[in-house]
Amino acid sequence: MQTLEVRRWDPLVRLTHWGVAAGVVANGVFTEEGSGPHQWVGYGVAALLALRWAWGLIGPPEARFTAFRPSLGRAARHVREIVRGAPASTHRSHNPLGALMVYALWGTLAVVIGTGVAMSGPPGVSTPRIEADSIAQPVVTADADDDDDRRGGDREDRRRGEGGGEAVEEAHEVGANLLFGLAGLHLLGVAFETRRSGRGILQSMLPGRRAARSAR
Amino acid sequence: MSSRSSPRLEPRAGAIAAVVALQALAVTFFVVDVAADIAARVGPAHVTFEAMAVLALLAGVVVGLLQLRALLASGRRKSEALAVAAGALSEVIESRAREWGLTPAERDVAVFALKGCDIDDIARLRNAAPGTVRAQLTRVYQKAGVGSRAALASLFLDELIGAPLARTSDPKG
Repeated sequence: MQTLEVRRWDPLVRLTHWGVAAGVVANGVFTEEGSGPHQWVGYGVAALLALRWAWGLIGPPEARFTAFRPSLGRAARHVREIVRGAPASTHRSHNPLGALMVYALWGTLAVVIGTGVAMSGPPGVSTPRIEADSIAQPVVTADADDDDDRRGGDREDRRRGEGGGEAVEEAHEVGANLLFGLAGLHLLGVAFETRRSGRGILQSMLPGRRAARSAR
Repeated sequence: MSSRSSPRLEPRAGAIAAVVALQALAVTFFVVDVAADIAARVGPAHVTFEAMAVLALLAGVVVGLLQLRALLASGRRKSEALAVAAGALSEVIESRAREWGLTPAERDVAVFALKGCDIDDIARLRNAAPGTVRAQLTRVYQKAGVGSRAALASLFLDELIGAPLARTSDPKG
């Protein structure tokens, strides 16, 4: 009496997944680099990522980090299973390869977010510019006289940090490209695993409660 | 991935998740704003208020997450209890069928009847003539000592309502 309903991820996992995906696509394709909207979308993505990580600590069992620990050994075994043509085994959470992909995506996303924040500072404060030398621009609107030494220090930091700033921008761009590459691999992985296992992997991330039946 | 959550739970869980996500976005907005204010040397009173808003929103996020987790867990428990109840019911049916001396065919007809199928449905499901099914069902009633399908059903319900679900291993108790 095995039910063949598609198991769905809980609503928070689905929401953060699609929110982050939409934000990444928006910033990669639509918003102007370094613009206000670009920065705000980036902060939004950061918020959703943080939320998902909190859920990874206190969420339901299959959403927790402990349910999909990254393991090269298990991933290798999984690959051997695929190569052997063994029937797809069931996993409580992500399959071992999927788990590696999750951490790769999260790590890259964290780098992109971190470098983005480092470049722009809080949006609306510094005027964002696309040029490389506007990186890590601290606020220079304060005009009080009593903080000359502090501002001087800032300027020196900035002058010294010029090379570092370029490296940060480089990392941001490389990270963003890597992110899209990984996302493409992720889509291929979902398509492949859906064909192999016959399970509704895509449906498990889609809204709706009544599940389509999948032949197992 | 709740495999069989109740239909009413899904929209509620979704709403909580959406509110929590909005709160998380708001927290980020305020954190960024506080950072900007500190950088722009806005008065400490303003910054303090905003910092309090951040803390309140963060608390809201945490409470929302915990609530969502509790909701999902209770949905899971309910579907587990339902499975236990279904298992318990079939155990009760088995033991009654033995007790009353039902033939396998009569037991199947009784199960279909309890599930709410009418005579024609049962006949179609069992590839039998409606007359046969009616006769089998009548014999089931006779053996159980009841006069109607409702009375038959209540015999099983009695058993289940009387005993807590956890004691399924001893249905004859």
